[in-house]
Amino acid sequence: MALVLERRPEAGKWALLLSPLLAVVLTLVSSLVIFWMLGQDPLRALQVYFLLPVSDAWGLQEVMVKATPLVLIATGLALCFRSNNWNIGAEGQFLIGAICGGGVAVWTHGWGGPWVLPLMLAAGALGGMAYALIPAVLKVKLRVNEILVSLMLVYVADLLLDWLVRGPWRDPFGFNMPQTVTFAPEATLPLLFQGGRMNLGSVIALVVVVAAAVVMARTLKGFEIRLVGQAPRAARFAGFSDARLTLTVFAVSGALAGLAGVLEAAGTVRQLLPGFSVGYGFTAIIVAFLGRLNPVGCLIAGIFIAITFIGGENAQIVLRLPRDMTLVFQGMLLFYILACDTLILYRVRRRVPGVGAQA
Amino acid sequence: MIHRRTLMTGAAALAASTALPRHALAADPMKVGIVLIGPVGDFGWSTMHDRGRRRMEEVLGDAVETTQVEAVAPPDFDRVVTQLVRADCKLIFTTSFSYFQPTIRMAEQFPDVMFENATGTSTLPNMAIYNARFYEGRYVQGVIAAMKSKTKQIGYVAAFPVPEVIHAINTVMRGAWSVDPEMRIRVVWANAWFNPGVEADAARALIDQGCDVLCQHTDSPAPLQLAQERGIYGFGQASDMTQFAPNSHLTSSINNWGDYYASRAQAMIDGTWAPEDTWGGLDSGMFELAPFTNMTPEETATAENVVAGLRSGEIDPFAGPIVNQAGEQVIAEGESLDDDAIRSMNYFYQGIDVSMPG
Amino acid sequence: MTLATAILLTVITAATPLLIAAIGELVVERSGVLNLGVEGMMIMGAASGVAVAIITGSSTLGVLAAIGAGVALAAIFALLTLALAANQYASGLALTIFGVGLSGVVGAPFVGVQREGIGRITIPFLSDIPVIGPVLFRQDLFVYASVALVIGVSWFLWRTKSGLILRACGENPVSAHALGYRVLRIRLYAVLFGGACAGLAGAYLSLVLTPFWTSGMTAGRGWIALAIVVFASWLPFRAMLGAYLFGGLIILQLHAQTAGVAIPSQFLAALPYLLTIVALTLIMAARRGTGAGSVAPAGLGQPFTPDR
Repeated sequence: MALVLERRPEAGKWALLLSPLLAVVLTLVSSLVIFWMLGQDPLRALQVYFLLPVSDAWGLQEVMVKATPLVLIATGLALCFRSNNWNIGAEGQFLIGAICGGGVAVWTHGWGGPWVLPLMLAAGALGGMAYALIPAVLKVKLRVNEILVSLMLVYVADLLLDWLVRGPWRDPFGFNMPQTVTFAPEATLPLLFQGGRMNLGSVIALVVVVAAAVVMARTLKGFEIRLVGQAPRAARFAGFSDARLTLTVFAVSGALAGLAGVLEAAGTVRQLLPGFSVGYGFTAIIVAFLGRLNPVGCLIAGIFIAITFIGGENAQIVLRLPRDMTLVFQGMLLFYILACDTLILYRVRRRVPGVGAQA
Repeated sequence: MIHRRTLMTGAAALAASTALPRHALAADPMKVGIVLIGPVGDFGWSTMHDRGRRRMEEVLGDAVETTQVEAVAPPDFDRVVTQLVRADCKLIFTTSFSYFQPTIRMAEQFPDVMFENATGTSTLPNMAIYNARFYEGRYVQGVIAAMKSKTKQIGYVAAFPVPEVIHAINTVMRGAWSVDPEMRIRVVWANAWFNPGVEADAARALIDQGCDVLCQHTDSPAPLQLAQERGIYGFGQASDMTQFAPNSHLTSSINNWGDYYASRAQAMIDGTWAPEDTWGGLDSGMFELAPFTNMTPEETATAENVVAGLRSGEIDPFAGPIVNQAGEQVIAEGESLDDDAIRSMNYFYQGIDVSMPG
Repeated sequence: MTLATAILLTVITAATPLLIAAIGELVVERSGVLNLGVEGMMIMGAASGVAVAIITGSSTLGVLAAIGAGVALAAIFALLTLALAANQYASGLALTIFGVGLSGVVGAPFVGVQREGIGRITIPFLSDIPVIGPVLFRQDLFVYASVALVIGVSWFLWRTKSGLILRACGENPVSAHALGYRVLRIRLYAVLFGGACAGLAGAYLSLVLTPFWTSGMTAGRGWIALAIVVFASWLPFRAMLGAYLFGGLIILQLHAQTAGVAIPSQFLAALPYLLTIVALTLIMAARRGTGAGSVAPAGLGQPFTPDR
């Protein structure tokens, strides 16, 4: 290898601008090839993918609806990942949040009041938090690997939801189909604008992002999280407790994932049923890293990923591309972005032969 | 073939609020949208709806143009449907019960667009529901299974405990008991509509427990292949699966939505579309049985008699008396369950030793 | 064939794809790289394997194509995470999205096409031994291959110098680099090996276990393989134990259902996941007194860039 990467002391200013541009150029070039092979106009395809979803107020609202759970979950995951806690099971915490919050809606159906919605949100966040604390406690007490525990608990949560909507929580007037009642208006998040689906959940997500950004940048806890991630030994010397921090970040990320779950239930889907989740918990992992584990970054990345998802639907409708092609395109796009990210963090250098160790 | 006059009257009648339906003026094809719950390649439910769509295009030619979105989860449903409406779709098929409530919501939001929900339970002025009486095929399967089984045990690879599957299990046994009241059934819930590996493992477990005829209520040919490998018998699901198990296949229940789709789209074009509740049996062509294989002439004759009886209504799989597991009589002799009772069935009949899950 | 033998046989076939994929990922993670894209590589293996086998009529070529597809996807991952030091978690997830999509494109023409599966090999006489005979000596080649992989990888990692170097790259890439080892090249080989194994596991699904193609047929098995690596504490023989334990629990819950156990099927289906957590917790609790800490390779998931 004649070229080597060298870590920049700080993110390159030019590269910050150049990297997304390069990603776009690469995407253009390869979509040119792919869409040409598929007999499509590449520019039209790009327009369908990236511009159509944001071309009017309704579309922008839909982007926010799709981005809200991603941003919320990713913001929590960013805290975890920053401090080297590998919570891979946000999907499970999302589902448990929906189950706990949705459970309140099912339980109070027919006799609830304005207090139902706050109770639902609290139940969802607490449920997600409790569920995330299972891997955290096992990690802290017994050093059980959190990747395995959090991942396995996703399947358990999925099966629990399945059982609930087919058994105890089944809609009594729903022809015994696996679904709960459609939530009453007091258990449904208010819409923000006419003619769209954007609801209070998006506002909550924005508030959370701002709060998380402030915590990370301005508080001791934020410093602790950053320090543990970058220099665990130094953090220990500074008197920070690994165990307490692990519990804290898992609790926060679980609560946010749970909150995302209940917001999705109370805002977008308005009932619980199998297929309730579209894998936001896993996608949010990509969002967290694309956003460089930074709350504001997660917001931007979440919106971007939401656009590519909706763009994929548009491509099926407008261009009649099969869904699998849209996934291939999305995967490629992510490859480019991740690759171009390298430019921001690293400098490419020609290696001078004979100097230093072999690479 | 498109007749501008009929189209215009039809479109005008349907879309009174839309001043000038664009496609009517330009004689454009009518646009039809289809929303699928699974991927087109599931080789089961969604694949067969896709074939139905192709068949509709074949029958109606340039008169229709179809747009399909696959693997749409309930949270994405509203957006996808809105996009289809914006893409000028006038008729939208939503092909899952999970879409039933959301379809009602969208139908109310877009009164000028006609919706059709597969396996739903009620209609609106612009929303029809449709399904096939697959249970009639299950009754035939039960009759054949009872003739073929030596261990007197039927194995049933089931997806989820929804009424559609539960009344299918009950009907298989009704058919089987009509031949041999000693017949028993074992059920495994795969907790998936398509997961070939688990379906195969479920089939193995059933065979290992002594079942020698397999029924399947999941999408993949895996259970049928297992039946062939172990030298027992099985039935195909959704499409004609004869080729997957030439020595074991008895018959398949083939989903055939194409002609229904074509007739509904034609009705839109003609302006005669109405929000009907269609639940088609063997005589409707909405599903059919693949040619019987691996059966003696006598067995084939018996099965064909049963098919004829079902078609004519002589055999009613839901005729009373029906007694549930708890020993309670659900319906008395001389009466018969109505469609809503069948659609919402959540109990097993007496004699089925399977606990009600969920 | 007794019921016990039959159950054992089924457990082995259910566990084998998990084991093959897990062994590959184990080597990858031992070298310090975490590839969350196992599911994507596995399903591409399944699709490519069945596609090539149908086109050429040769199962051998199908298997080779599956391995090739796994390696090709792994190469993309290596390009991103090794050459460009991109984030491994995000790259692995992107690889899964890409692989699932591409498998659908590759497999689309072959939905519903029938093909004979690869049969079992029966070793004469030995296979007639009661109970263990059929289990040990009447299996398909993949099962034997999976066992050979476990033994081979275990031998390689702990009995060869190359294995030692590979583990060093996972534990402390900086030191390994300082000692003059080409960390990135070694990690590249490991990642490609992992891809080959995932592809092979996919081929087992689409050519042996359920010989046909349908979209999404791996149904999350790649994720289970990842979990098994962790469960195994990155030890090959324990991965074998983990895969058979997990496969065994799946089969037992199906048998419990056929026997009409009055427990909701969702609870039975959740058992393999819950018991895996319980088992790992017990292992860790037992080890607590001995002072042995976390066994994950210390450099796992960290990008490495050699400085000059």
